[in-house]
Amino acid sequence: MEATREIYWNVGHGVVWPMYVFSFIAMAVCVYGFYRRLVVYRQGKRLNRFDRLRVRVNLVFRNVLAQTRVLRVLGPGFIHALFFWGFGFLFIGTLLVMAQADIFQPLFGVVFLKGTFYKLFSLVLDVAGLVALVMLVGLQVRRFFAKPEGLETIRDDYVVHALLFTILATGFVVEGVRMAATEIRNNPNLSLYSPVGMLVGKPFVGMKLDALFLTHKALWWFHFFLAMGFIAVIPFTKLRHIFTTSANYLFTDLAPKGTISTINLEDEGAAQFGAAKVADLTWKDIFDADACTSCKRCQDRCPAFATGKPLSPMKMVKQIGEAAFSNPQAGLIEAVSQDALWACTTCRACQEICPANIEHVNKILEMRRNLSLMEGVFAGDEVRTATSNVEVNGNPFGLAFAARGEWAVGLDVKVMEQDSDVDILYFVGCYASFDKRNREIARNFIKICNAARVRVGILSKEEKCCGEPMRKLGNEYLYQMTAAENIERIKGYGVKKIVTTCPHCFNTLGRDYKDLGLELDVEHYSTFVHGLITSKRLKLKPEPFEFTYHDSCYLGRYMDIFDAPRAILTTAGGRLTEMAKSGSESFCCGAGGGRIVAEEKIGTRINVERVKMAEATGAPLLVSNCPFCLTMFEDGIKTGDCEGKLKALDLAEIIAARIGG
Amino acid sequence: MKILVCIKQVPDMESRFKVNNSGVWYEETDLAFRMNEYDEYAVEQAVQLKEQSGNAPDVTVLSIGPGRVVEALKKALAMGCDRAVHIQDDEYYLKDSWQIASIIAAYAKDLNFDLIFTGMQSQDRGSAQVGVTVAELLGFSCATTLVGFAYGGNVITAKRELEGGLKSVIKLRLPAVVTCQLGLNTPRYPTLPNIMKAKKKEMLTHPVADFLKEGAHSATERFYLPAKKGGGILLEGDVNDMVDRLVEILKEKNAVVR
Amino acid sequence: MKALLVSEYREGKLLDASYELLAFADKLGAEKTMVLIGSEAAAPRFNGKVYLADAAKYGEYNPDVHKKIVLEAAQRENSDCVVFLHSSYGWDLAPRVATALKAAQISEVVSIVDGKFEATCCNGKMRRMVSLKTVKTVVTIQAGAFSFSGEPQGTPHLERLDPAEIASCLEFVGYEAAEAKAVDLTRAEVIVSAGRGVGKKDNVQAIAALAKALGGELGASRPVVDAGWVDHSHQVGTTGQTVSPKLYVACGISGAIQHLAGMKKSDFVVAINKDKHAPIGEVADVLVVADVLQFVPALTARLLK
Repeated sequence: MEATREIYWNVGHGVVWPMYVFSFIAMAVCVYGFYRRLVVYRQGKRLNRFDRLRVRVNLVFRNVLAQTRVLRVLGPGFIHALFFWGFGFLFIGTLLVMAQADIFQPLFGVVFLKGTFYKLFSLVLDVAGLVALVMLVGLQVRRFFAKPEGLETIRDDYVVHALLFTILATGFVVEGVRMAATEIRNNPNLSLYSPVGMLVGKPFVGMKLDALFLTHKALWWFHFFLAMGFIAVIPFTKLRHIFTTSANYLFTDLAPKGTISTINLEDEGAAQFGAAKVADLTWKDIFDADACTSCKRCQDRCPAFATGKPLSPMKMVKQIGEAAFSNPQAGLIEAVSQDALWACTTCRACQEICPANIEHVNKILEMRRNLSLMEGVFAGDEVRTATSNVEVNGNPFGLAFAARGEWAVGLDVKVMEQDSDVDILYFVGCYASFDKRNREIARNFIKICNAARVRVGILSKEEKCCGEPMRKLGNEYLYQMTAAENIERIKGYGVKKIVTTCPHCFNTLGRDYKDLGLELDVEHYSTFVHGLITSKRLKLKPEPFEFTYHDSCYLGRYMDIFDAPRAILTTAGGRLTEMAKSGSESFCCGAGGGRIVAEEKIGTRINVERVKMAEATGAPLLVSNCPFCLTMFEDGIKTGDCEGKLKALDLAEIIAARIGG
Repeated sequence: MKILVCIKQVPDMESRFKVNNSGVWYEETDLAFRMNEYDEYAVEQAVQLKEQSGNAPDVTVLSIGPGRVVEALKKALAMGCDRAVHIQDDEYYLKDSWQIASIIAAYAKDLNFDLIFTGMQSQDRGSAQVGVTVAELLGFSCATTLVGFAYGGNVITAKRELEGGLKSVIKLRLPAVVTCQLGLNTPRYPTLPNIMKAKKKEMLTHPVADFLKEGAHSATERFYLPAKKGGGILLEGDVNDMVDRLVEILKEKNAVVR
Repeated sequence: MKALLVSEYREGKLLDASYELLAFADKLGAEKTMVLIGSEAAAPRFNGKVYLADAAKYGEYNPDVHKKIVLEAAQRENSDCVVFLHSSYGWDLAPRVATALKAAQISEVVSIVDGKFEATCCNGKMRRMVSLKTVKTVVTIQAGAFSFSGEPQGTPHLERLDPAEIASCLEFVGYEAAEAKAVDLTRAEVIVSAGRGVGKKDNVQAIAALAKALGGELGASRPVVDAGWVDHSHQVGTTGQTVSPKLYVACGISGAIQHLAGMKKSDFVVAINKDKHAPIGEVADVLVVADVLQFVPALTARLLK
């Protein structure tokens, strides 16, 4: 017998026009729903995310079709991916049926759903449908029974799950009933290619034909209207993420990671700085709320959330959406709360993992800008003091700027003011210049440069804070002022290359300063030294040691530098035991986002949390390569009672102790 | 109501001071400058009074010194003062408190200020004389060391900080000079819109010769670092001996232990 | 040289620091006369002339009134030099007297060198030697710079001053007592701070005892507060309070930069630390190399004797 089936069997061709009419209505409702939302997105400021379309479309394909970011978290990620592909196949199947039934057959007399192709079609769809159904049940078990901590379940979820389940289930029942009437007895071989349908249909086989026809018709229409309902409610429920989350890949920020908008301080017309209301954010910021499916992957990785601060990146994103849709005049900062806003360390763990391509960090920065620039509010008195100190003396400690180069006295390093003929300018940073513990990093870096015969110079008292902590705390004005001073000096000496031992200075000088007119080669010392080793300008005499390595946020997630430091440490004789959270899943030390100058008053200490993770590896040494991390770890070791069990060292100290060979 | 705020730009006290070539004041290179901390409270109080009075009062901020003091004046403008007066004087440090006060009094004489705010002392010279002397020269009433300020119906109710945490409350009538102590209020951090507005506010410069009519009553003969008697003293050895030695040192050097 | 010494009186009592004026005058080798707006009972114990005006009539403090009284005494004595304490009373009143006398005023004198006055400046970091160009002078002396040794004794010869009603635009309303509030280290004159060298929470009381013996407040370094041994209100440092006491005793504090930045302005720093090379040594006037737990109780005992 022919491997095919009659489309519109039993329901008749008469269903076509009501089908189209209702589909049209459903789609119109859907489009209208999105149109209403578009109006709300438009409240936000303009932003061009439509350039380089080819790259953007590529991202959509990769992330939506291949579900790459969803699969970053394997368990639920896998379940969702399979569900998505299953549903996807069913959708394609429906399109094929529509193509044949409404276009090819009536217009050209072509029938392609027959023979081997039909058998394949049937089998694939049955399997897809079953996979989708099973995966859906898996997701339901997770959400309604396992109830992972932090996962919010709202009425929306019940509706969507009920709808999806019923659609899939009734789909199979409709098929089963049809097969009970047409295939199971009459064409058993064919029915093997619709195994699920066959199983579902078996109980119906004994039924009287009239009853079968009626049941089939009723179920068909039921399934149809459910599907129409599904389409119509998309924009009004979480289902909207099918479009919004997918579209968010199109709207990806293609600028380098961590790029922040540079406020034009010359613009005399500007009256509002930072974000107080949704209208101060961009349309993308509002759209992000719609792309968010509340998967809580960001919240799960937020170091502030993990230690009891009131900050949840997911909640913040949703609050912006709520304000945009229900009360646009509402004050965002009151809704999110200052405590939550100041708690962020800008570690980027949220953005790095988000499968919906949401940009959490810059929203927080914009609100901080409003607090700082429009209200003159600080995260605490100590932050205000640090800010004044940077204004007056160019460092957050308030120590005399003239003493900035004193750490280098007696060392073989040039001061640019006296002799600017150098290979690299070493931008030391505030901590390595003034803090006793961190001066060791600076001294050891010079030792390394000397050994590799790299002629290195420093700005000494002409160097000012790179401005990063102030910028991250929202004080764009002070950042630009201090940056301008640095840039003038650097340009004045005709510097070609800058190397820095601080990842924050590294990010700021290498990326942020571009907007302020400085574009030159800026490298972090980890990759610089790695280059020295591989080019044999520096030789190390390995001495064995056991260690664990901390990927600082501004080196790892921001700059994707993970391998070079590890390679160096291995060359130096180290045996690495990775922490559970390492690489791009590294857990912040707590000092980013300007919080190095702030007091941690809420919840438990982030640095102690991280130190305990290091201790758990059993390694006696915690190696990092950021002065903020080193400071946090020294502090955390004391506070967390790990003295004697764990020692904190910077990469530079390990390298410098092994020069030779 | 016309308000005058007198401010001074001083070096940041964290700096390491070096004696200048003439040996009578500090060398300016390698010093970071900022508004005298006491004057910040004065500026803040003046601006608060202006705001509380429906923004009607006009606040002039004045400073005497070289070109760099313009930065301090700009900050005062960004905090909310309406106009600035820079009395240009590269050799401000050669004038004693008496001359400084007379310059301010000469400037203010015919301008009918109702209230003059200034810090109770400068962080560098620290003579705590200028404010009170200006009041005496202008015939204004004066109260110093304010940690509390309230104004109503031409009368100021001021709280003065005395020793040991004690405070005294006094009332004085305008016109008046008040000198401000740390903690009088919380000086606001200038917001960016205010910093930008400040760029447009009036800044007049007068050469000091316009107002200097008095000769000095005193002069700094020598400016120097106090002799550190043998640097830091290191005590080692027997605990009880060290206790005795320390008590001796404290009595001698510190007058805290009597 | 005739010196008129202006004593201070508050809430019915003569302030003891007034005797430092005598010590100053002696150093100067000047003829001493005192003036006091106070009461007979509070007249200073001094074998010399004391001009006395009744505080009950003229008020405990009204600058316009007090100025007239001091000027009256100065005129009668034909004083060359009028001396005040550099206090909230002295710095308020002295410039008024100086202006009226057309006299040079030198504030916060810390010593007399070859007959010249040495004043402190730049937050106590520097000194200046001042030369005077007027016939008369007004001086304010730094508290504690001229210590009066021994017990004051003598019977003053009182000359009453009773000027007519003096008009004033200023009215004294009253005093307000110091609030008993959570620790405000910024006003403390003596601070004794506990650092990690103290060992554990129970040992903090030894440090607090020393603070009490010195009449000061308990401070703490960051790790100690973090560990919960002391409340945050005692923290000294960049994320705590920035302090400038006359005496700062750092017990078992290594001297991390954040702490140093908070206490660098102290006039006199004593550090007690086992480590001779602890960074705190760089800012300490005296570094006692000892175990905090041994030294501190011994010092406290000695002070209480």
